Amino acid sequence: MPLIHSFETMGTVVNVRVDDAFSADQFTGACADVEAVFAALNERFSLYREDSEISQIARGELRLADSSEVMREAYAQAISWRDQTGGAFSPDRPDGVLDLSGTIKAVAIAQAADALRQAGATNFCVNAGGDIVVSGRDDLAAADAPDSWSMGIVDPGDRMQMLTAVRLTAKLPAMATSGSAERGEHIWLKPGTDQTFQQVSVLAPDIVMADVLATAIVAGGHAQMAHAVQNFPVAVFAIDHHGEFFANALFESALAN
Amino acid sequence: MRAKSAFAAGVGSAAIVAIGWQAGLGALAQQLPTSTAIASGTTTNASGTTGTTATPSPSASASASASASSGTSSSSSSSSSSSTTTTTTYKDGTYTGSVVATRYGNSQVQVVIKGGKISDVIVLQRQQVDTKSNQISASATATLKTKVLAAQSASVSNISGATYTTQSYLQSLQNALSQAK
Repeated sequence: MPLIHSFETMGTVVNVRVDDAFSADQFTGACADVEAVFAALNERFSLYREDSEISQIARGELRLADSSEVMREAYAQAISWRDQTGGAFSPDRPDGVLDLSGTIKAVAIAQAADALRQAGATNFCVNAGGDIVVSGRDDLAAADAPDSWSMGIVDPGDRMQMLTAVRLTAKLPAMATSGSAERGEHIWLKPGTDQTFQQVSVLAPDIVMADVLATAIVAGGHAQMAHAVQNFPVAVFAIDHHGEFFANALFESALAN
Repeated sequence: MRAKSAFAAGVGSAAIVAIGWQAGLGALAQQLPTSTAIASGTTTNASGTTGTTATPSPSASASASASASSGTSSSSSSSSSSSTTTTTTYKDGTYTGSVVATRYGNSQVQVVIKGGKISDVIVLQRQQVDTKSNQISASATATLKTKVLAAQSASVSNISGATYTTQSYLQSLQNALSQAK
């Protein structure tokens, strides 16, 4: 029986599922570790908390150069992704405020996965607002199939429906989905921004790459999608506003059947 | 500020949201083989899948025929009829087209002429270069749409979607509750 725990943080819902033979105490302890990971990053990086370090930077009370090492590393990571996506992903909000929430949620998911591993879990899934990292296999995986987790992708036309499903394996254990319908958070429309896709899912070796590229492709359309699949080992599935699908071969081979 | 207060409200409703999350998955699992409305695409738009061109010989007409018949997928039916009705006689031999760069990678074909006619078109390089994964297909190619929708019936253990904010969850919950009155 899978063990499931949900909690709320960073303005979304986190869902932890462990398909190992954990005792109730083991699972409770592991989930406390996961919650601590999210809480620590949220405390530092939330612009909704006036006492957070990033809010101090936003108000001009703290210079980035004088900020904590964690903050500067997160900034460097976000800037690196901005450069690797030609600016389609950016931590700089149009109003000039530095917002690292675009990468920090993914960083938290990755750290949560590390915490679960340290707690002894081998078969687990962390889902934060639809961005997912898995390890090992779910209890649906067939005995003769490679270790995998079966994951649905939401139909952007009807959020209560599933459009399709993929299998996440050790090669591409992370998946993120971005949409333009529910715009906000880290998708900003710059002048001339492409609005081709209503939803983009990216499967990647790590969740930060998946999240950043899904965001960048929603912002940058076909050109960003071509750039992403040529420069990163990712599987991409995009749906345009006419309901047409676009996918690369790696995504087709990840489809559940 | 608005978001902040919604977040605070959300903390109190965390249990409800969590239940909604799980209940939503159950509802999804029960409703799997439905909703193909999203797949209402046309079959005529093949943009992104063609783009294979070649210039296999000095003859302009030979080049035109070769490029038409080198369309590797859906557009080949019309080209085969045009190549059989042509009266131009080509010189027998094997001609290699130049490498054509496309946004998805390089493309190159070889044309074999026998008895004055095109007998074979060999694809030397597809629109792929270093990684095998960089070719993008569209749902206009029927196989992608079929495969994507076929996977709808799979059992899943979790769901990925565009970021659900707490606010949107609470809004839809409130909306549902107000309708239920």
